[in-house]
Amino acid sequence: MSTLKQIPVIEERKGNPLARVFDDLVRFCRSRSLFLLHYCTGCGAIELPPAMTSRFDMERLGIQPMVSPRQADILLITGYVSIKTLKRVILTYEQMGSPKYVIGICSCTVNGGMYWQSYATAKKLDEYMPVDLYIAGCMPRPEAVISGLQKLMDRIQSGEANGWEDYYRNYDYYLGNQQKLFGEKWQTPTDIITEAEHYNLIGDGTLGDHTKLLQQHQKPLEALEMRLGHNIKEPTE
Amino acid sequence: MSKEVAHWLDNILKEIEGIEVRRKSSRRVRVDVPADALPALLELLQGRAGYIHLSAISCVDWIEEKEFELVYHIWSYESHSLVSAHIRISREAGVYLSVYDLYQPAAFFERDIHEMFGIHFEGSPNMEKFILTEWDGPPPMRKEFDSEAYINEHLNWQNYNPEWLQELVAEGGGVIIPPEEQRFSQKKR
Amino acid sequence: MRPENYEAQRHPPSNEYELNFGPNHPGIEGNYALKVKLHGDIVLEAKADGGYLHRGFEKLMEQRLWIQNIALVPRICVPDPSPMEVCYALAVEELCGLKVPQRAQWLRVMQLELSRIAAHLFTFGGHAATTGMYSTMYWGVADRDLLLDLFEEFTGGRVYSIYNIPGGVRKELPEGFLQRLSETLDYIESRLPDYDNLFFKNQVFVKRAKGTGVMSREQALEWGVTGPNLRATGLAFDVRKDDPYLVYDQLDFDIPVEENGDAWARTLVRRHELMESIRILRQVVDILPDIHGPIRAPIPNPLAWNVPAGETYTRVESSKGELCYFVVSNGGPKPYRVHVRGPSSMHAVQVLEKMSVGSRIEDIAQTMFSLDACPPEVDR
Repeated sequence: MSTLKQIPVIEERKGNPLARVFDDLVRFCRSRSLFLLHYCTGCGAIELPPAMTSRFDMERLGIQPMVSPRQADILLITGYVSIKTLKRVILTYEQMGSPKYVIGICSCTVNGGMYWQSYATAKKLDEYMPVDLYIAGCMPRPEAVISGLQKLMDRIQSGEANGWEDYYRNYDYYLGNQQKLFGEKWQTPTDIITEAEHYNLIGDGTLGDHTKLLQQHQKPLEALEMRLGHNIKEPTE
Repeated sequence: MSKEVAHWLDNILKEIEGIEVRRKSSRRVRVDVPADALPALLELLQGRAGYIHLSAISCVDWIEEKEFELVYHIWSYESHSLVSAHIRISREAGVYLSVYDLYQPAAFFERDIHEMFGIHFEGSPNMEKFILTEWDGPPPMRKEFDSEAYINEHLNWQNYNPEWLQELVAEGGGVIIPPEEQRFSQKKR
Repeated sequence: MRPENYEAQRHPPSNEYELNFGPNHPGIEGNYALKVKLHGDIVLEAKADGGYLHRGFEKLMEQRLWIQNIALVPRICVPDPSPMEVCYALAVEELCGLKVPQRAQWLRVMQLELSRIAAHLFTFGGHAATTGMYSTMYWGVADRDLLLDLFEEFTGGRVYSIYNIPGGVRKELPEGFLQRLSETLDYIESRLPDYDNLFFKNQVFVKRAKGTGVMSREQALEWGVTGPNLRATGLAFDVRKDDPYLVYDQLDFDIPVEENGDAWARTLVRRHELMESIRILRQVVDILPDIHGPIRAPIPNPLAWNVPAGETYTRVESSKGELCYFVVSNGGPKPYRVHVRGPSSMHAVQVLEKMSVGSRIEDIAQTMFSLDACPPEVDR
């Protein structure tokens, strides 16, 4: 999973010669109006308000913060991800609508960063979700963040930023790593395999041992019983 | 803390049995008590000496001596001094009383010490996990928990083998410490 | 099945339901969650849920050398990192018996007060954003950026400055820095009337914040509240005056106090503290050119430094409250135990839970921001 270039690209041939032009136009427009999910996952999030507000304005590039994952395009992982946050980040990522892009800001997403000895943070974000761009630093300046976003815009425009397709094509690999970290009963509300069928992105790596394990114990969604103040367990330790 | 106040405090503290008072500076006093005398000491400090602010409860794991040391730091707004009460409890039992009915901030610290060290506080209002809710390993702050071993077992590192390095290796050069000998880059399987 | 902490359920036929005021929410400061049980609009019960920012600092600090922890420590409190460094350096100096030179102490005071102003500006911005007044957030963050430029000039880092070392500070001030500092202070002081009109006296904010999250004096003392939150209930307690460290006993400043104990009073206390910090900084700018001398006490080789055995408890007033470090050494090159007590440990967990009960759901964001709860300090 080190470079996306090694992944076989399944290209759909449309009969229409103007389809190529239309694709380019769509990619151009998509790269100029990105919505950023405003989920501050770690310490890098403090350099995000300076990048968004009037001094190092990000809105002149068309990038705006957005609160709901359903309407956002970019998921910014600002800094380290602790294991508890990683579960929520994966849920958020799967809730976002395709095409979606992930940017890993700060060195902690690359190889653990300063917390490499910590039992509570994930070291390699690439294993759990596809990352389109890394912006190194601790933490990167707002200018660096904006420069990274411009690079992402160039990649979207040229069609290289296809991390979201990689998630569908190699879902078994990602699910395997998630199960290894979170336990075998790990399950998310989103049905990735059906979505992969819908997008015609089923690849060799979509189904495998880990998805079989998931389908064995997949339960339908039901809310867990939680009553505040009524479920304080008797201390058994 | 002025001399009269210090003198008065020393006199009051003599009422507790087995106490050992050490004045470290003008505003810091260290007190060592046996574990069962602590509630009486805290009641004395709170009720009669005006030490109403519990700043923190810390826990130190003395693994060789097979003891946990609990330190209660209490501050007085009137006499501007801090009393640190040290007690020792046994490591295997890992149980102690809660001081929640005297000091309400204790609930947070006792909950924190419970999930990090495994000490159970009887009478504390909430012993549920707060930070490590989805953690199923041993209490991580204990000295016997090796976090690097845990990481090598559960998590992976980035494989860094870019083309420029491969070219160098092909020419006969390369890294001085090979990846197998670097401490953290190789998982031991 | 969702992750174990994420659930919501409706209890028919009553109007009670439970919501997860979850980690991805603009009304929560940082990455933190609250589970609330509501009856219509009114909160019946709230339960705080932290741990999303947990990195295991205390374990990490035991595995690094004494000097390596200086780089690690500012990351515990993200908006206001300088008091963390100073508190750790003070603890190590007390264990070793190092005497910090005068000039270094004044430089540390300058760093702390600049960090306090920057943190307060950030808090005003965040707090205003919960009421929908985004202009204040833009102004606050932009003015804070001028201070971050100053930080970059004399320390090299915008946010995590890593300027302290046990024994003193690392670098001397650059040429003409004090002149630029006074100009920036003049600018910020001239902006405060604009902030008053936009935010502090704005009826939109005043009506939201007055009467929200009320805390009486007895409650504040019982719950272990410190910092501006305690001063908003009428008690003038400040670690800089009660337990002076560095050169605060030589400086002339007041402790602002308000009476009501609600969100508006807390915000006003912070605004007055910002004025007092500017006053302290002006005194520093006047006195600093007359103090000469080294900026560091000599320490042995930091890579092979055995700090003598002992323990110490140091306290510093950060912008959020009382920050304390309990450092234990057993005579080795690495700390044996470092316990960080952040001020938000009380504010974000117990105080927020108790004050949310009975309020409306939109007031929870007001309460949390007015308490200035900082989740990285709670989770460490």
